Order: sequence, then structure tokens, then C-alpha cells
Amino acid sequence: MSEFANEPILELRRAPHREALLEGMRAFTEQAIFRVPVWVGDGERHGEEIVSTDPGDPERVIATAASATADEAGEAVGAATRGFARWSATPAAKRAEILVRAAAWMRERRGELAALQVRECAKPWGEADADVCEAIDFLEYYARGAVALERGKPIFQVPGERNELRYAPRGVVAVVAPWNFPMAIPCGMVAAGLATGNAVVLKPAEQSPACGHAVVRALRESGVPADALGLLPGEGEAGQALVEHPDVHTIAFTGSGPVGLSILKAAAEPGRRHLKRVVAEMGGKNCVLVDSDADLDDAVPAVVQSAFLYAGQKCSAASRVLVHEAIADAFLERVAGAVEVLQVGQAETFGIDVPPVIEREAQERVQRYRDLARSGGHIAAEQLQGVPDRGWFVPPAVAADLPADSPVLGEEIFGPLLAVERVRDLDAAMDRVDELPFALTGGLFCRNPHTVDRVVRRSPVGNLYVNRSITGAMVGRQPFGGNRMSGTGTKAGGPDYLLHFVEPRVVSENTVRHGLVI
Amino acid sequence: MPPSAPPEAEILAVGRDLAAALPPASRNPVKQLDDKAMDMASQDAELRAALFRFVDVVPACHSLDDLARHLSGFLSEVDDRPPPLEAAVRMSHSRPGRAALGAAAAAGVKHMAHRFIVGETTRDAEGVMRSLWNDGVGTTVDLLGEATVTSAEADRYAARCRESLDGLVEVYRDLPERPILERDSAGPLPRANLSVKVSALTPLLRPDAPELGKRDAAGRLRDLLRHAKQLGAHLHIDMESYDSREAVTDLVLEVLSEVEFRDGPSAGVVLQAYLRDSPELCARIVDWARGSDRAHPLLVRLVKGAYWDHEVVDAKQHGWTPPVFEVKAESDRNFEALTRTLLKARPRLRVAVASHNLRSIAHALAASRALGAPDTDVEFQVLRGLGDPLQHALAARGLRVRTYAPVGDLVAGMAYLVRRLLENTSNESFLVEQASGRPIEELLAAP
Repeated sequence: MSEFANEPILELRRAPHREALLEGMRAFTEQAIFRVPVWVGDGERHGEEIVSTDPGDPERVIATAASATADEAGEAVGAATRGFARWSATPAAKRAEILVRAAAWMRERRGELAALQVRECAKPWGEADADVCEAIDFLEYYARGAVALERGKPIFQVPGERNELRYAPRGVVAVVAPWNFPMAIPCGMVAAGLATGNAVVLKPAEQSPACGHAVVRALRESGVPADALGLLPGEGEAGQALVEHPDVHTIAFTGSGPVGLSILKAAAEPGRRHLKRVVAEMGGKNCVLVDSDADLDDAVPAVVQSAFLYAGQKCSAASRVLVHEAIADAFLERVAGAVEVLQVGQAETFGIDVPPVIEREAQERVQRYRDLARSGGHIAAEQLQGVPDRGWFVPPAVAADLPADSPVLGEEIFGPLLAVERVRDLDAAMDRVDELPFALTGGLFCRNPHTVDRVVRRSPVGNLYVNRSITGAMVGRQPFGGNRMSGTGTKAGGPDYLLHFVEPRVVSENTVRHGLVI
Repeated sequence: MPPSAPPEAEILAVGRDLAAALPPASRNPVKQLDDKAMDMASQDAELRAALFRFVDVVPACHSLDDLARHLSGFLSEVDDRPPPLEAAVRMSHSRPGRAALGAAAAAGVKHMAHRFIVGETTRDAEGVMRSLWNDGVGTTVDLLGEATVTSAEADRYAARCRESLDGLVEVYRDLPERPILERDSAGPLPRANLSVKVSALTPLLRPDAPELGKRDAAGRLRDLLRHAKQLGAHLHIDMESYDSREAVTDLVLEVLSEVEFRDGPSAGVVLQAYLRDSPELCARIVDWARGSDRAHPLLVRLVKGAYWDHEVVDAKQHGWTPPVFEVKAESDRNFEALTRTLLKARPRLRVAVASHNLRSIAHALAASRALGAPDTDVEFQVLRGLGDPLQHALAARGLRVRTYAPVGDLVAGMAYLVRRLLENTSNESFLVEQASGRPIEELLAAP
């Protein structure tokens, strides 16, 4: 296999690429509504219990899906248990070949897949395209990683014994995925499980069943056996049944903190003959520190992009800015002005920064935090222009002068609301970061190399970005994942990720016979 | 297809003649110190990085102490420090040492900035512009500024441009006639000449949505064009990175096509020869000029392009083919082909050849002569601080030369300054090659 390289995102600054996407969207719109089945082995059960709609036009149905029952979750785990026998015996190189073929499947359909995300999750074009590329990257990256892992790792040898460290798949992986990276994240978790020889059951988010379906189709149509990969569209019930199932060995979860904690608790209950392992990526409260020597020409756009693109619905998005008092006024004035020209509108329109949030509940939640910001401090700027009256839109806003105990400063909002705080110096800023239970991403704008070193040493976050935006981690380049309450410290898209999906086995063989080393 | 190239012998002859007109190397000791620093920087990549990071952060430092701490921070990352820099790092260990170091460093950077930036405002630059005029050199003023990220900043930049146009008219009002600078075969040329950046006229330039930035910038650009028309000034719209190229090109050609601007002002665009697709854009501009009934022919400033590193890094990070030629000789060859295509399209457009490369200049002049045009039907443009000897040589030979003269304060000017310094220390730079004493035949050889 060639060396891994990230799938290049579309060069959307060139008009023909934009036109091709819009053309694809016209074709997509004429298509019938997607029907997403509970897909276990070769059996498909269709249903319309789940209706997935366009967040920008909630009347428009994108997909209907069956909602898996607890029994179906059990059947899916049963099928996967059977499928595991054959799939785990398939050599890593063969599995890798299938994953790479799935990557090619997606590559051929990049426009279609991006269009689906634009509609089902209101992801703007650039972000949707990047999500498809990331899904492809995960397939390619883990395929290569699993081939390398199969060779084991070198350990010490002495005469008369042969020592081997090998990695074996664990069994059945339950993947519980979010809607915000509706293909990349499920594809990454599923690919990690499959590449290492596990069988996988995917439960996509109920907001994005069609995107989850596309991931499973890519893999199945590329050669993953039907019983090695099941699809369980559904809501909480299916997910719960899945993670509690005694035949599930590994749970890979990305989503909210409360759900993650309940999964960790459930997983503490042993499986049939094993301990369950959880790989969890949860919430964040991501802070950007801006020192007095920061170049605001860089810091302002980077902060605004980090906070508001895709309406702030990325686990890595910036939520708080702690800015040195020497430049706080200038910074706030410029951020406010930049927020006032953010483009709010439908995801399918090029140039839109802030699309609708995913659903009504999200809209209401962000609205509550806006109210809290207004009553506790004040809204320094917001963009009300161009906000459509249909769809789950929330105007992007910047809050300032909040009291230290404001929930706006402590809780994950997951929407287009950014809090700016003035600090005496970077040490004060780092103290505040340190008080948080979360440690996912963070940012620093500073040009003194000594200060950068100091912040790097003290920062608890999983991914710290210096003098750049804090979103957009790339597979292989910025292995991604949080610490503290933000996650189990596992790094998706990094060299260690696959180790969470395997169990190490050491074999020591005596090679001495009648006193001779044979 | 561009017209065929003039004979090499012609180019060589023209080039030698221009080289002979170059003034002898400057004896100004301060300038020599500058050159010494540049020289050191161009030989040591780490030192170069430290120097540029320092120059870049100077305006953001809040005290001399802060300045010295930054300097020592950057220098401590350089492995082999020459003795003067080692001394600087030692000085930074005490407070009085830092005050002295900070003051010296600030003075050094300020001095360097003055070499490239003519003044804080157009009025401040009056003396420089008048003396250039007396030497037979015109200017086009570029207002340096912070990035535009808000509407208020776009409005402020537009207001500065208006004021600057007014100021330029005042600066040039009573100066004696300089026929070479004021007329070519196509007609009169304005004295007051301002270059503007579309990225400063709108906060909404988005690579994937050129319409957005275009719409937002159009109002402010029209207002400036009206003002320039009223004052009889020339307005030149600069080209920037590839991300904004479509928006800038479409905006300028569309707005200049509006009936309102048929009788003026004189206006211009920029063509960047380092872009692989510049021949297509050149063809589009030529077609546009042919179809246009504007009273003033469009002035096309042909440049190599100033964002090469940015374009290459940006493309590599995204896994794209860079939009620019990666081998310098390809840009140079393309520059010559575009030069001939543009010269051929006169008089529907005017041509300004903006390069410090003596070969590119000699080629342009020889090509213009081969087309039977008077020498003053091609303009030459140089950058303040980099092309000073060249501008004098060109003026001495009776050619029309205009200096790109940035105006702004240190904060605003730093990004510009760093770009110029990078250029000045790049081993591929013509000026560096020239300074290294390469023989004229090699410098004038076909790319």
C-alpha cells in the first residue's frame, strides 16, 4: 500500500468545483426519500419510526428509518458474534484491502455524500466535503495501521526462547455515533473496529440515519461480510441495549457527556466472559487564550471561525476566549464586528458560515444560554440579519462581562455562542482553564516562544492549537481526542488508536531441546 | 499566441545599457548596516526566521522590556549565534540590559521600515514623492492597514483611500511638468495614482463565495472610482492571493464596465505571472479591453506575484497542486510571454511592467521596440526600498517609471515589511543575485 496521504478537500475557490456540487445537489433533490433499515446480516427491516428532516427546512423529509428495538440490538450482536469468527480469521492485509475499497467507493461518490450531509445535517458544503474526506482518511489510515499492528511489536529475545507480542481483535464492537460529523466519526470508529478484525454494530445518531447508512453501504458493498457489520438506526433504547449486551466487548462512543458517563457505568458490568472496554469522546468547553502580543489580524478571524463555523456544533469548537487586558478592548471590538458580518443561512448556499442547528431542542438549548448571557452579562454582538424564519436557526452571538459562575462559562453549549473574558495575564487565564472539568481542545495566540512553552507545559487539553484555528483536526496530522471529562484520552486518527480495539497476547516458546537451541 | 520574442542580442543590448545607468553601490553607512543584516539573514535560515519573527512582533510589544524578551526568545532558538547576537541574548538577562536592547532593536526595525514605507500618511510622504517627481519618478501609493474583518474597518479603509486621493492631488498640484510621466500615445496620464486592495474594502471575501465579497466591496469601490474620476486621479486595484482572485477580477471588470465609469477614472488591474492560469486571465483581460469603450485604456500591471510562499504552503497543506509555477524560471518565461501579449494589445490597454529583474525589463523594452512603439508606451514599476537604484537607471534612460510607495504606520506596515524582507533575502531573488556580483551576461540570460 502506498504511504498514507490525506484525501484533499475540494478546491472550492475554483468555480467548476462549486458548480459540480450544485449540480449534484439538483440531482440529489430529485431523488426519492432515503429509507434506512435495521440491517442485520442479510436481513433488512424497514420502518418509518424515525423521520430525519432538513434542519434548514423541517418540513422536508430526507430519510425515514426503522427504529431498532432492544431485541433487534440483541440479534445484531448475535449476528456479529457469528460474523466475528470469519472476519477475525481474515488476514489484516485482506481486511485492509476491503477498507481501501470502501474509501474508493466514497471517493467516487464524494459529491453525493456531501449533498446528503448538507441536507440531513445542514453542514455547509466546505464542511460536508471535509467530513467525507475525513471518513476516507480514517479508512485509509486504519487499514494501514492494522496491517502494521498485525506484525506485532519487537520485544527482547534471549537464546533458547522465542517471544512474540501480538494483537488480537477483541470481539464485537458497538459503535454509538453522533450527527455532527455524520460520516467521518461513525466511519472512523467502525473502520478501527473492522480493520483490527472485530465485528461491528453501528448505531448512528437518530438525527443522521441516512449518513450512517451510507457508511455501512460503503463497507458492505466493498466486501465486508454482512454479519461482520450491522446497522441499527434507532434512539436511546437501541443504544442502551447494545452497550449493555454481554457479548459486546468494546464500545466506541462519541457524543454528549451524560450519555458517555452512562455508557461508562453500564460498561463496568462485565460481559459474558470479559471486561468491556470503552473508547469515549465527550464534551468540551474549549478556551482560546489570547496574549498581549497576539496578532489580532490572525487571532480574530481564527477565533470567529473556530466558534461559529457549522454553528459551533463541533466538539472542538471555541466556546470561551480569555484575552489579555492590554488588548481586550481592541479584540472584543473586532470580534464583535466580525460576528456582525457572519453569514447566517441555508447550508447549501456557498459562503454561509452559520447554518441552522440540528434540531428544535438544540435551538431551545442555545437560546437558554443566550438568555443567561444576557441576564448575567451582556451580548456584545450578534448577527440577526439574514436569519431565515424557517429552520432551527440561532443568531450567532458574543457574550461578555459574565460572572465567573455563569453556566455560559462552565457548560458545553454546542451552538453559536462565544464568551469573551478579560484576564490580567496568561497565568490567570490558565488558572481558569485548569478549573474546568473538560480538556478537549484549546487555543493560544502568542508570539513569545517562552510563553508558548509555558502554556504548552501547563495545558491539560488533548489538542492544543497555537496561533491557528482550533477546529479541523486532520487524520494522521492531529490525532484527536480529549482528556479529563472530555474523553478517555484515546486519539482518533493517531498511531495509538487501534490499540484500544485489540488485546495484546504474548507467546513465549521454549526453543531448547536436549540442551540444544533448535 | 504572444508575438515572437525579440532577438536575444537586442535584449542583451538593452539590458547592458540599463545596467550601465545603475548608480554605484550606496555609500550610506546605515544602509550598509541594513544590507549586512540582510546578508547574514539570507545565509542562515534559523537566523532569518528569528529576525522575521522579531520584526513581525515589534508593533505588538507593549514596552522595551517586552520587546527585548521577544528578541531574546527568538534568538535563543538559533543554534549558532554570531557574537553580536550572543551579546544581545546576554544583555536580555538584566532589566537595564533589556531596556537598552529593546531600544536598539526598536530603532533598527524602525529604520528598516522607513526604507520600505514612505510615511505614516500621504501627507507625511509629500517630501519623498516630490523629490521622486523631480528625479523623474512617479508613484502609486498603497495604504497599508490591518486586515479588514469588520464592516467598520472596510469603511475606514475606504475613507483613508478617499483622503489619500485628495492628498495626492494636493501633493502633485504645483509640481513642474514631466512629460514622460504625464502622457503616452494613448493620452494623458494622471499624476495622482492610488493602489487599493479589495480585501481591505470588504470583510466578506470568501474563496468559495466570490459573489459575497464582490457585492460587499462593489459599493465602496464605486465610491472610490467616482472620487478618483472627479479628481482626475488613477485608481489601481491590486491583486492578492489566489483565494480572492476570482472575486477581484470579476468585481473590477464588471464595475469598470458600468456606464458611469465610461469617461473615467483611469483605472488598472494586476496580472500575476507566477499563476499557471495567468495566460487565460490575460486573454480575458485583453478581450475585455478590446470590447470596452472606456475613455482611458485599462492599465495592466504585470507582476511576478508576491504571495508565492503562501500559495505553495496553502496548496501543500490541502493536498492541491499549487496554482503557481514552482520553478522560478517558468514564472520568468511566462512573464515574458505575457509581456508580449499585453504590449501587442495596446492601445486598448496600457502596460506596466513591474519587476526588479533586469532581464524581464530589458525583454519588455526590446519587445515594445520590436512592435514599433515609442519607449514611453510602456511603464516600469518598482517597489520602494527594493528598486531604488533601478528606478534611477530607468529614469536616467528617459523611461517612465513609477514607484509603488506604501504608506502607513508601523503596526499596519509590519506584514508588508516582513514580505519585503523575505523577498530581499530569498536566494532566488534577482536583487540578491545581482548583489552577489554575478556577471551581467548571466543575469541577462534567457530564463
